[in-house]
Amino acid sequence: MSTTHIIFGTWNRKAVGLLAIGFLLSGSPASAHRIEKHFTVEPRAVITIHNPNGKIIVKAWTKHEVMVIANHVSDKVEVAAEQTGNRVDLRTQQLTDIVAPDDLRADYDVSVPEDAELQIHDDSGEVSVANVLGDMNVETVAAGVALEDAAGYLTVKTVGGSFQCVRCAGRLEVSSISGSFRLLDLRSYHVRAQTSTGSILFDGEFLPNGIYRLKNYSGVIEVRFSPGDSFDLNATSLKGTVNNEAKLTPPAHPQRFSSKFGYALGTFNAGRAKVELTSFDGTINIRKRN
Amino acid sequence: MATIHCKDFPEYLEPWMEGDRHPDALAHIRDCPRCRGLADDLKMIQASAREWGRAESDPPAHLWNSLRAQLVQEGLIHQESERRAWLPGWFSALPRPAIAGAYLAAVIAVAFGLSGPVNQRINKARWLEGTQNSTTPLRAQFASAVMNATPPSVPDSNPTVTASLHNNLAIVDNYIALCEKSVNEEPENELARDYLFEAYQQKADLLAQMSERGGYGR
Amino acid sequence: MPEADAIRLAQQGDAPAFERLYQLHSRRVYSLCLRMVGNTAEAEDLTQEAFLQLFRKISTFRGESAFSTWLHRLSVNVVLMRLRKKSAAETSLEEVTEPDEESGGPRRDFGAPDLRLSGSIDRLNLQRAVDQLPPGYKSVFVLHDVQGYEHNEIAEIMGCSIGNSKSQLHKARMRLRELLHEALRDKAREERKAAGTNLGAED
Repeated sequence: MSTTHIIFGTWNRKAVGLLAIGFLLSGSPASAHRIEKHFTVEPRAVITIHNPNGKIIVKAWTKHEVMVIANHVSDKVEVAAEQTGNRVDLRTQQLTDIVAPDDLRADYDVSVPEDAELQIHDDSGEVSVANVLGDMNVETVAAGVALEDAAGYLTVKTVGGSFQCVRCAGRLEVSSISGSFRLLDLRSYHVRAQTSTGSILFDGEFLPNGIYRLKNYSGVIEVRFSPGDSFDLNATSLKGTVNNEAKLTPPAHPQRFSSKFGYALGTFNAGRAKVELTSFDGTINIRKRN
Repeated sequence: MATIHCKDFPEYLEPWMEGDRHPDALAHIRDCPRCRGLADDLKMIQASAREWGRAESDPPAHLWNSLRAQLVQEGLIHQESERRAWLPGWFSALPRPAIAGAYLAAVIAVAFGLSGPVNQRINKARWLEGTQNSTTPLRAQFASAVMNATPPSVPDSNPTVTASLHNNLAIVDNYIALCEKSVNEEPENELARDYLFEAYQQKADLLAQMSERGGYGR
Repeated sequence: MPEADAIRLAQQGDAPAFERLYQLHSRRVYSLCLRMVGNTAEAEDLTQEAFLQLFRKISTFRGESAFSTWLHRLSVNVVLMRLRKKSAAETSLEEVTEPDEESGGPRRDFGAPDLRLSGSIDRLNLQRAVDQLPPGYKSVFVLHDVQGYEHNEIAEIMGCSIGNSKSQLHKARMRLRELLHEALRDKAREERKAAGTNLGAED
């Protein structure tokens, strides 16, 4: 065995050890405080979570129970978890007037019945919800929001946080000022997405009689379609461009604007869904899926 | 006109009930008592249901008391509600056109009298109509109320949030300026007005959110 | 107090505002529940549950749809959940697309030609027949024919398409026709039986 190998091998073991320790330490802040609570609930329980900073993960399970595991480092905040009737309220509370930003952080891991209804406020951090089928309302400032396999009436509002929704059904309304949206594999019958400077990607199904309204001020709006889709399209960019790959049937739509606007108006196949894409000066792309 | 048979008639029946009288179905029903009877039966069911619908029933009086008790127990109702004064001086000083709601939203955001979220929806269609009929005075007053609002100071307990709110306020202010320019250039452009309206609404919502942060320790 | 003001104040927990919203909408919600379940005790329970859910969630109301539509959507969901708990199998509006005999769907033939629903239909018989409908049919029929909602409103309330709402309504009416005919036949049979008994007694 060469000297180089021995040195490297030794270094390697030490490095791995240090890396492992570093990895363990960096995964999450050392949790000085951990609470775990269980609440038995009836169907369609309402769960509310108010958190100024931190991660909120909500998952569905088959029990008629809400389980909360919350971690926070600082003594200057506490997590309050209370049940009133069929409603569970979770809240991170400041115990002193002045709290440093890092001390405000609390992370929640919540398991809920799949028909639960959620109301979540998380100013910064991250919100992730999976497999919950009840209605939900999520509001954040800077926190990103990710929904997966959700259904029901979903309303999401952020100031700057991004939004991703994968395999969701039901009705979706999302708004932001600068957040971008990715709407993937959706089976929603009503989608309304509005952001000012963010971009919007829609790659989902256009259900018959569904309504899909995507709007921004600037940035890109992109929708993807397949040859078998059926929609009536009204795409307008006041000062930007519309790039359309769908072969539209010229409709009996009156032309509302002069030709200096970017627009695409018409019917694709039987025109069963309604698709409205609007931008002030951004770019709208209607692209065929590969 | 094609001749249809009794076995085909049910296909025509659903649109028939919606008022769509296909000539083939009309011709058939004239000569066929069975299908005529079917259509008549469905109409009679519809009419009886409508009659039934006219008689609405009042819930018993004790229901509200029971509901109210539950709401108090859940803390959803405040026993003595505190009506917040939204600077009535401001409000009464402004004119009250049909779109008073638009001003209310602007005043609420500007006055920072809220500790709850701004959820008041402005009657958008009426605002758009209002601005089309007498654009400058109305829009100017609304714009003035919102644009001259001094952003509330947000406690710096969470710099990420503070920075995001201020950055996004700047984005919205820029957006408003560009929309206003567009509306000034093309006052008849409904889409431009739509964007401008929404920009004002966003600013009002954002100012209200900023004013809430002061009480965040909740 | 106008509704818009009541909503705004209720979102801040104002008690009179809650009461005002209840006054404005309780009659319609209670009538809807009563027509869907057919008994007053359960209708009261469902009305209370619908308003409780409304007031718990009122802060999330953004005004994108009419408040009454939002409330009635809540109410219909509350009723449907209750009906589904009671029925043996889960049925949803979307599930009842090609119903068979067991689920109470309309048969392919269109009913007995020998009896016609003559005169007006007795409200009690109509209620009884409606009670026998599967939950999805019942909801659409009550919302459209009884309560007077349009299909686009029903689509929003029920979370289905307009086409679906129209098709379910038609199937509901066809099924009701069968049920009402059965009730007429049963009544005719009993009258014949009673007449036979009387004749026997006279003899």
